Amino acid sequence: MNSPHIPKHIPSEGYIPQSRQREKPRKDYKWIGKNMKRVEDPRLLTGQAGYIDDIKLPNMAYAAVLRSDRAHARIRKIDVSKAKALPGVLLVMTGEDAKKVTGPTAQFASPPVVQYCIAVDRVRHVGEAVAAVVAENRYIAEDACELIDVEYEDLPVVVDPEQAMHSTGDAVLHPDRGPTNLAYRKTFSFGPVDDDFARADRVVERRLRWARSGAQPLETVGAVAEYHSGTGKFTVYGNSSFVNYVGWLVGASLGVPAHKFNLIPVTTGGSFGSKLFTHKVLTLTATLARACGRPVKYIEDRLDNTMSCDNHGSDRVYYCKLALKNDGTILSLKFRVIDDYGAYLQFGYGTHGNSLCQIVGPYRINSVEMELVAVLTNKCQQGAYRGFGSEVTNWMVERMVDAAADELKMDPFEIRRKNFIQPDQFPYVIPTGNLYDSGNYPAVMDEALRIADIKKWKDIQAKGRAEGRCIGIGVATCQERSVFSATEFWSLNPLDTPGFQLTSSPESTQIRIDPTGNIQVTLGSPFWGNSPETIATQIVAEQFQCDPGNVNIVYAGTDSAFNSTGPGGSRFTVMIAGAIVGASVKLKEKIRRIAGQMLESSPGDLEFRDGKIGVKGVPGMEKTIGEVALFAHYFRLGLPDGDEYSSGLDASYVYDHPLTTMPAADRSHLGIFYPIMGHMCHMALVEVDPRTGKVKILDYVAVHDAGTVVNPMTLAGHIRGGTAQGIGSALYEHFYYDENGQLLTASFADYLIPTLDEMPAQIRVGHVETPSPFTEYGIKGGGEGGRMGAPPALTRAVEDALSRYGVRVDELPLTPRRVRSLVRATEQRQGRAPAV
Amino acid sequence: MSTVKVNVRVNGTSYAREIEPRMLLCDFLREELELKGTHIGCEHGVCGVCTVLVDGESTRACLLFAVQADGAEVRTVESLAKDGKLSPLQQAFWESHGLQCGFCTPAMLMVATELLEHDPDPSLEDIREAVSSNLCRCTGYFNIVDAVRTAVAMIKEGKQ
Amino acid sequence: MKPAAFEYVRPGSLNEALQALSRHAGNAKILAGGQSLVPMMNLRMVHPAVIIDINRVPGLDGIRTDGNALVVGALARHSTLRESPIVATHCPLMSEAYRYVAHKPIRNRGTLGGNISHADPASEMPAVLVATDATIVVKSARGERTIAAANFFIGLMQTALQTGEMVTEIRIPIAPANQGWAFEEAANRKGDFAMAAIGATLTLTGGVCSQAAVAVAGMSDRATRLSALEALLERKPLDDDLILRAAVLAKNSVNPDSSYHADVDFKRDLAEALTERALKNARARCK
Repeated sequence: MNSPHIPKHIPSEGYIPQSRQREKPRKDYKWIGKNMKRVEDPRLLTGQAGYIDDIKLPNMAYAAVLRSDRAHARIRKIDVSKAKALPGVLLVMTGEDAKKVTGPTAQFASPPVVQYCIAVDRVRHVGEAVAAVVAENRYIAEDACELIDVEYEDLPVVVDPEQAMHSTGDAVLHPDRGPTNLAYRKTFSFGPVDDDFARADRVVERRLRWARSGAQPLETVGAVAEYHSGTGKFTVYGNSSFVNYVGWLVGASLGVPAHKFNLIPVTTGGSFGSKLFTHKVLTLTATLARACGRPVKYIEDRLDNTMSCDNHGSDRVYYCKLALKNDGTILSLKFRVIDDYGAYLQFGYGTHGNSLCQIVGPYRINSVEMELVAVLTNKCQQGAYRGFGSEVTNWMVERMVDAAADELKMDPFEIRRKNFIQPDQFPYVIPTGNLYDSGNYPAVMDEALRIADIKKWKDIQAKGRAEGRCIGIGVATCQERSVFSATEFWSLNPLDTPGFQLTSSPESTQIRIDPTGNIQVTLGSPFWGNSPETIATQIVAEQFQCDPGNVNIVYAGTDSAFNSTGPGGSRFTVMIAGAIVGASVKLKEKIRRIAGQMLESSPGDLEFRDGKIGVKGVPGMEKTIGEVALFAHYFRLGLPDGDEYSSGLDASYVYDHPLTTMPAADRSHLGIFYPIMGHMCHMALVEVDPRTGKVKILDYVAVHDAGTVVNPMTLAGHIRGGTAQGIGSALYEHFYYDENGQLLTASFADYLIPTLDEMPAQIRVGHVETPSPFTEYGIKGGGEGGRMGAPPALTRAVEDALSRYGVRVDELPLTPRRVRSLVRATEQRQGRAPAV
Repeated sequence: MSTVKVNVRVNGTSYAREIEPRMLLCDFLREELELKGTHIGCEHGVCGVCTVLVDGESTRACLLFAVQADGAEVRTVESLAKDGKLSPLQQAFWESHGLQCGFCTPAMLMVATELLEHDPDPSLEDIREAVSSNLCRCTGYFNIVDAVRTAVAMIKEGKQ
Repeated sequence: MKPAAFEYVRPGSLNEALQALSRHAGNAKILAGGQSLVPMMNLRMVHPAVIIDINRVPGLDGIRTDGNALVVGALARHSTLRESPIVATHCPLMSEAYRYVAHKPIRNRGTLGGNISHADPASEMPAVLVATDATIVVKSARGERTIAAANFFIGLMQTALQTGEMVTEIRIPIAPANQGWAFEEAANRKGDFAMAAIGATLTLTGGVCSQAAVAVAGMSDRATRLSALEALLERKPLDDDLILRAAVLAKNSVNPDSSYHADVDFKRDLAEALTERALKNARARCK
């Protein structure tokens, strides 16, 4: 390892722990790096997937939820009598009813922002649950919802985050928490910010606005819950991505110990973060099942989900300053961010803790200061959406770098290259304390330029401009952190109320080999469109040098008390690789020992090859894994005494985060908390119609460095799919609330998820691999993929396309309306006639 | 709650049922016939995950009352594989990584089926037209287009 | 989002349908393609007590010519009309407009009669019918009448249909062989409803405009003709300068409503840009 770069304000002695990597990256893998067809696909292709809505229990009833049609109001009275009397209705529950038996739902803010699965006393956003009905079928349940009369007393509505900073009186959403909608305001400073600004030649300033969009997977959130009064136990099927935390936290809301709440994961139709922790739906459905005495299914419909999914994305205003030298060196970044969290605060400020892990981008920026202003407004609360806030800071940083390029009249590629952290500077600790483990940013940019054929793009642009067309090129060089550490969830909390300061975010597996040699692998993290079974199979096959067809994957529910965190923050591939290596090492040692007995050889002379274990250099002197397994299971008396020869082949392993440390007590740095650092260069070639505002993507290149790649095909899927979502957030998607707090873009007719037609003809993907020195095989996470880099690349491309209008883009999404308004402003200023 | 009789063939099997007229075809397939391959995503006709074939034509099952399918021939994703063997289209999707979460996949398979039944050698433009009628949130659509092109080639090869 | 309960009537003939409509006056909605009605029912925006499913009524889906008219049955499906060579020959404006209409699964079921009865202001076909001076044949148990397209669309999702009436046929004057046409639309995504759309037909005689019809959709509560613009064009040489002036006139004469996707200024800009493009394209197609 190179000598690490550690900023001066961070005590460097022993700052970086030793690497625990056991499997060093190699070139000659048999299964890792292969485009293996997915293990998950056959059941998905044949309509036998087993999504949550496919679950049907005997005697099951169906729930529907009545939702508030106003943004902020006291609930004066709810009359459920007509609803209750409707034939086929089994029960009707209001927030008051639910509160008698079920406590607040889980949340991680400190101090807490209390939320219930059905609103109590007041509603705080349009679409918040006001009552729930259980009936013989969903149709009747919805009939009953229409018969519920709610008397509201309207309260003032606030939807502008900068206004929310100053709310008083009845406009305050959570008066119990204090007389303000300002949930938090604190400045975090890392490194010599004032000095760096003092020595700058110039400072560029921008106000930037990132609009609210959301994951909107095509499958909504749902649950099927059953309560057995005899045992006092809940059995719940749910499409939550986190499983381990959920059982005991939801159990706590329901007033039962963890072992009385068994969450069984199911095949899930997309999440992108929005199903990380589906606490409200789980808590509500379980509450209804217990009250009703029959199993209850609740599946959100699309409006339930858009209005109340509890997982809208970031909604931010930035005021930024970038300190520069005239030669293009970027010295420091200072910004205030006002984040509109909506009506609740379930994940605290995790989306900002998250972004501080890569806040300087791929650049050697010396210092950073963030003033975090978190406000509450009458909107659905934020949750997680692919990037968890870091995709937003990627956009902000790239906007500022482009602003610097324009200010200094430097080429956007060159200013980036000039400021890149160099390949020989890793591991590189950034001012916030996080570490970048490895990278080669110049190589990634070079590859992107090569794949794009930048000369050809520039020719296209020049020719087009000569014809009066608006053609633009944008580049973004962004980080994709992977493998979050739990510290990011609380490290920004107030020091006097730090909350639950967990530091453990493991992943585990159990590997058992059955008497026929089949390798059974248990995962504690469910499938939602990532490829956990395929990845696990490839790594197991690599470890045992066996046929992937002999590997079988099963999932554990919470009854197993399995230790896992879940798929999120691009962590799963790295973490499961670590767990599998750990368990495999133990298991292979036992297999060698037993095979050694069977072959009368020393275990050290044996190797795994082609599904067998045999003596090195002696072909034919070998046993199949199946033969060894049969012997291990059934022939104890044929083996020596001693525990090391006990029957069976069974190993578990808990893999902890490979590289994380605590934040400083005074938060002068945040420790190492998200160090497995991928990187990407995205380039977009666009044409903009200045009269209709339509943006057409002519060509698109995405080069990613995700370290050692287990399955290039599935990684490319995340790069392209993530880019598609980035295109959505940049150009099409907006959860827009009017001044009355009405969500104008609630249906899919108005919330515009891109179709194939909005995509470029292709997204040309390239790979660069700088393996991590800290993870098994050098793998880095890549699941958040293209969404981390597409918005800034597209923003710059549109800005460049409209350069003859002197347009500056500070706000997303770049809808036709917004694009046209930018051009119109210039035309009016210049008294210019419109283009062709 | 008055009911109406409906006689419909689904995936080659005839069914006679008495249902409420308001029961949507997607719910009829999923709840009455326990065919879970047809999914529900928006119930206002935009996302397309409910798309099935009714008399050979792609149709949003969330916008058709089951009673309207009386006398019709309905085909869902469950009709594609034969005797446990994936159809060429399904095989092509598998090999092309044309799916991630799988929720839109049955619908994509059905619009592709409609396309290939009308034209076994569609242009890229025709394929894109078909795929653009449904949403996918995972893949960005590229591999889905590739999958259909691969299927066309596989079917041609199979015939030779 | 499940619909409320309703009584289901499925007439087997036009007469039965009209009788059912008369009997359930005011409480019934006709179910044709369902692609507009059923989403509204699922969203519980409407709660019709009776649904009259006319999909089995024979004789309502024809596409034919009758003298000077292209005659389209109310139940003709969008997908059929889009691919129809008869429509392409005799109302090319409609064929072109169909490039912007929805997606195949929607077009397979949606009908022209249903679409125009629903009268969404952002829908393409009302603009086509208004541009081509189509007449709509309407029947009830009491008899039949024809309504000029300009008088058929009277307000936001409102038509001149009285209680008990339904559209049976749409009659479109056959486009003269030398007539040019163009349909230009601005929508958020391909297939979405129009933020603005212009449908235009033009006839030139020696470079002079002898006929102009320009209809706009998506701008206000219904599709309308831009008659001031037509007056500007008629009997003048149709050069680029005139087209630009016409486009500016379009911008100044529309009265747009504002929505999240398109505010008033944007709609006006679209009116101008789309008019200019439509007129240029229509002119290029003139023979």
